[in-house]
Amino acid sequence: VVRCQLSSPQRPLQASAVLRRVSDEQKKEPLASSSQQQFDSHPTDPQPEQEPQGPRPSYTGQGGQESEDYESEEQLQHRILTAALEFVPEHGWTAEAIAEGAKTLGLSVAAAGMFHSDGSELILHFVSQCNTKLSELLEQEQKLVQLGEAEKKPTDQFLRDAVEARLRMLIPYIEKWPQALSILLLPHNIPSSLNLLTSMIDDIWHYAGDQSTDFNWYTRRAVLTGIYNTTELVMMQDSSPDFEDTWRFLENRVADAMNMGDTANQVQSTGEALVQGLMGAAVTVSN
Amino acid sequence: VYQVFESVAKKYDIMNDSMTLGIHRVWKDILMHKMNPSPGTLLLDVAGGTGDIAFRFINYVRSVRERQLQQKLKHHQNLSWQEISESYQEDKFKSLGDSQVVVCDINKEMLKVGKQKAQHLGYSEGLSWVLGNAEELPFDDDKFDVYTIAFGIRNVTRIDLALQEAYRVLKPGGRFLCLEFSHVSNPLLSRLYDIYSFQVIPVLGEVIAGDWKSYQYLVESIRRFPPQEELKAMIEDAGFLKVDYQNLNLGIVAIHSGFKL
Repeated sequence: VVRCQLSSPQRPLQASAVLRRVSDEQKKEPLASSSQQQFDSHPTDPQPEQEPQGPRPSYTGQGGQESEDYESEEQLQHRILTAALEFVPEHGWTAEAIAEGAKTLGLSVAAAGMFHSDGSELILHFVSQCNTKLSELLEQEQKLVQLGEAEKKPTDQFLRDAVEARLRMLIPYIEKWPQALSILLLPHNIPSSLNLLTSMIDDIWHYAGDQSTDFNWYTRRAVLTGIYNTTELVMMQDSSPDFEDTWRFLENRVADAMNMGDTANQVQSTGEALVQGLMGAAVTVSN
Repeated sequence: VYQVFESVAKKYDIMNDSMTLGIHRVWKDILMHKMNPSPGTLLLDVAGGTGDIAFRFINYVRSVRERQLQQKLKHHQNLSWQEISESYQEDKFKSLGDSQVVVCDINKEMLKVGKQKAQHLGYSEGLSWVLGNAEELPFDDDKFDVYTIAFGIRNVTRIDLALQEAYRVLKPGGRFLCLEFSHVSNPLLSRLYDIYSFQVIPVLGEVIAGDWKSYQYLVESIRRFPPQEELKAMIEDAGFLKVDYQNLNLGIVAIHSGFKL
């Protein structure tokens, strides 16, 4: 078993001080990148039967000089943000929390300067992480259903559980979450936060088994987005034990949404009846 | 270069104000905001002679620290008087929160003026003054959180050496910040700027500081200095990552920033 130690050949002056070799994080063999000329994603590997391990670092700028085995700046940034999350309850979603996070990784507090000073990236990172966790959760549930080990839930139950699971991820940070919401509404953050929100809602509907491609697609997204946002706001002010009030609110809203479909039909048929009545009256009058 | 600054030292600040019509203060403030230092930061200000950056740093950190303490007190609503007075005691001695700035300059005269200014303005703690050469800094590796060089790097003979030294003395995760005159791309402004630089500034130099030649040198050195992208490449060559620059006043001045990652 050969461990190949690679230096960073493209940067003759300095090896990177902090960016870790991706291979350090993995327990199995690192990739053996044969020559520095190969920027392709398939270097010759002395053990061809082994699959490349771990995430492939993205090739960053610097004229494509990053050696394959070093993590990219983005990955380092993600690590810092993840480390910063544990300081959020104390410092809020601020550059200070990021600075503390950087310190735990052994970096200078000045590394927080890489991020926007209002903490936007930290919040977006957190939201994105939560969404990923939710997707994984829903994926696992789906697998269980497919394997026949669990019952397929009815839609309203499914939606309730998904939204509740996602909102529960906010509980450790709930005190500072209103601050986060207001930052997410800042103009320069709206594209990203909206993006994250819509993809999460899409995800939930996808796992709920929504196959429609018609007009309903939009209504369902809009409805669920409304449910999610209002429940989130209720949760901010909820002081009941384990947020019981919030989950009851959620239950009611989902039930409303289910009934809405029926109501729409009713309105339509009432409307038709009304029109027919009017027509009849008009005919009578004209006679 | 040494002699230029020897003769210029005493009138340095006055000349700065008149040449840039006082805008240099704004530039330096913007630099400080960009840095956004938290208490406990160790700053190295190179070619910082008369201490402008250093004083701003201390002010900034002090106000951040005050805000931090206020926040802490807000959370301490339920403490007894005893505990509150105790926390006042210990916080009083840390008004800077362990932040420190080391001002390093190659020129004794500039440092002298800086020290006098500090005394005059009442800055005492958290400041050190060190004589040193940017190309060969008298400090250990991995020491500082932030390295700044404001309007100093164009006077360095070997910029690449200075950048390498900066990389060396910074801690991992540390930040390099450089505030410097740079290239104006807008042609109209460029012409006006040229006229101002070559006609007005040396005259001011003669009138205020009695020194035409030094300011002629100054203006020429600005023209010869590499433009933004080139400086960015040089900083990257020294090993810094996430290197970026911000133009102020359409390029008259630029702030370059890089991280040791």
